[in-house]
Amino acid sequence: MENILKKTILYLVIVFISLSVLIPLSYLVTISFSSQIEVNDYPKKMLPSLYHNIAIKWDAENQNYIVMRENNEGIFKELYISSKYDKIRDYMKTQLNIDMTTERIEKDFNVAKDTGEIVEYKYYKSFFNNYIKFFTVFSGAEKALINSIKAALITILISMSIGGAVGYALARTSIKKKEAIRIGSLIVRMFPMVSISVPMAVLLVRYGLFDSMLGLAIVYSIPNIGLTAAITRSIFIGVSKEYEEASLVFGATEAQTFRKITFPLVLPAFAASSMYAFITAWNDTAVSLLLTNKNETLALLIYKSIGGASSIHYAASGAIVLILPALVFTFLLKNYITQMWG
Amino acid sequence: MLEKGHVKEIIKSPYLLLVPALLFYLIFWFVPVATSLYESFTTISGKVGLNNFILVLQDSLFLDAFVNTLIFALLSLLLQFALALGIAVLVNQNFKGSKLFLFVILIPMALPPSAIGILWNTGLVESGWINSFLATSGIQNVLEALGILKGPTLWKAVSGLEAVMTLIIIDTWTVMPSVMIIILAGLQNFNEEYKEAAQIFGATKWQAFRDVVIPIIKPSIVTALLLRLISGLQVWLIGVMLFGFNNVPFLVERIVYYTDKVRTATNSYKMANAYSIFTLGHVFTVAFLFLRVTKDKKEGAK
Repeated sequence: MENILKKTILYLVIVFISLSVLIPLSYLVTISFSSQIEVNDYPKKMLPSLYHNIAIKWDAENQNYIVMRENNEGIFKELYISSKYDKIRDYMKTQLNIDMTTERIEKDFNVAKDTGEIVEYKYYKSFFNNYIKFFTVFSGAEKALINSIKAALITILISMSIGGAVGYALARTSIKKKEAIRIGSLIVRMFPMVSISVPMAVLLVRYGLFDSMLGLAIVYSIPNIGLTAAITRSIFIGVSKEYEEASLVFGATEAQTFRKITFPLVLPAFAASSMYAFITAWNDTAVSLLLTNKNETLALLIYKSIGGASSIHYAASGAIVLILPALVFTFLLKNYITQMWG
Repeated sequence: MLEKGHVKEIIKSPYLLLVPALLFYLIFWFVPVATSLYESFTTISGKVGLNNFILVLQDSLFLDAFVNTLIFALLSLLLQFALALGIAVLVNQNFKGSKLFLFVILIPMALPPSAIGILWNTGLVESGWINSFLATSGIQNVLEALGILKGPTLWKAVSGLEAVMTLIIIDTWTVMPSVMIIILAGLQNFNEEYKEAAQIFGATKWQAFRDVVIPIIKPSIVTALLLRLISGLQVWLIGVMLFGFNNVPFLVERIVYYTDKVRTATNSYKMANAYSIFTLGHVFTVAFLFLRVTKDKKEGAK
């Protein structure tokens, strides 16, 4: 009896915590799929709707169609009055995310005109409308996406090559001051990047790297080189030297041994640190805010989109685009997470 | 002239592997840090002194920024630690569905900060999802019947400490999982036999947890907490995205404000620098503590 009570409480706590994570996210996803009309709905729905229930009435006196929509409370509310089919089409497209041809509207609406009664239709939304709109409404969203990918790739390249070499040296050679290197890299990693942004901007301007993705990638590499070194070091230590020696004994050259034995064994570590580098670059807002001018990254674009209250549903879909890769990579990295703390 | 053998030795020297990293950090880290330090102690006219720091102290928002930063860092740390420890212990019990539960609660830490800003902004506005949820779930009616609320709450119309508290809750929602996962890793490496031994010798479950489990996983707890403290001291983005610049000042918010928002004003560059050094001082005090603690841990193990 006591056991059942305990179990019930345990699962109640678990459900409560899970919901407090999932409910906010569910609303964000819903908003990202909402039409302009739904954004203004209150209370908002928690799950995305796939269609709108539309009722059409012909106003014979004024020769107009009255377009109505069933809101969250189940009441049909008047939305739009017009007699022109192409105007109705535009309205449906921009306000309701319903993509219809003028011919279809003419055919459907004529039923209301001919019968003189209110006709109801269930119109499906063009589901990804906001996502397509995000890349057209926000000027430079497409460029920002490309910029973010570019910055992330360059960050990976710099951190892998420079950090990987340090990791190898720490693991496989007899260099001195290994502890000093470890502590140094830790200090650099804990260093708030924002606080050197001012002289960094001056420096990047001098080298012609201000407002460029290479410039951003350099800044992102500052913490990531140290991190890559830490991760690759632990892997190089883990890969037994005996495999390599065996390979050499059997007549392979050093290059062959590295290519065929060492490299495949250390590949997971490089994949993990590349993902970290990617996440650093992809998630950053502060550095790109201070060190770019016209070449925004996607995260920065989303940060700036907060001002436009009327387009919050587009910003939400942009936020989802930003979230997805970060989410995938973070979960792939889950097992490496303790490495991050040195 | 170097001998042939000597050259070969240099080329094969393992220290060469460190050269790119050293050069990189010299140019792109050490130079800006040194410049930042130098600039913060010189005025525009080239005079050396503490003038910039005096300017910072005279900034009308400095005290607010300083206090807010400390309150934010300390309170969010406490809240996150308490929750993270509780949840880590919960997950570690390996109940049915614990893997799925872990997956769900880790989601927030994967979200990019600017996406978090959008998420909570759509929630805190008057017709946002927080009020929507309260209304549709009936909680709003209950609270109104109890006289706690009157109509939809204006979440964004707060200032001062209330705004800081709002940010603390949002920050906890976001980063608690990253503290939790470190503690969980500590718990999972923990050998259950120690605990069983303690219980055999008559310790209660709670005593075993407090006196055996906690001391053994202490290093991972300390690491997690100090890293949170460091990031807590650097809060700015969520505050600016929800409340705008100047409304809920933080130290790093001031740096960004002076660097980005007031590019035209002559003093803003110096202000940003001086704020940076001030913040650095903070962060390094904490970093120093961190290194001290990790060193103690090693000596203790000997």
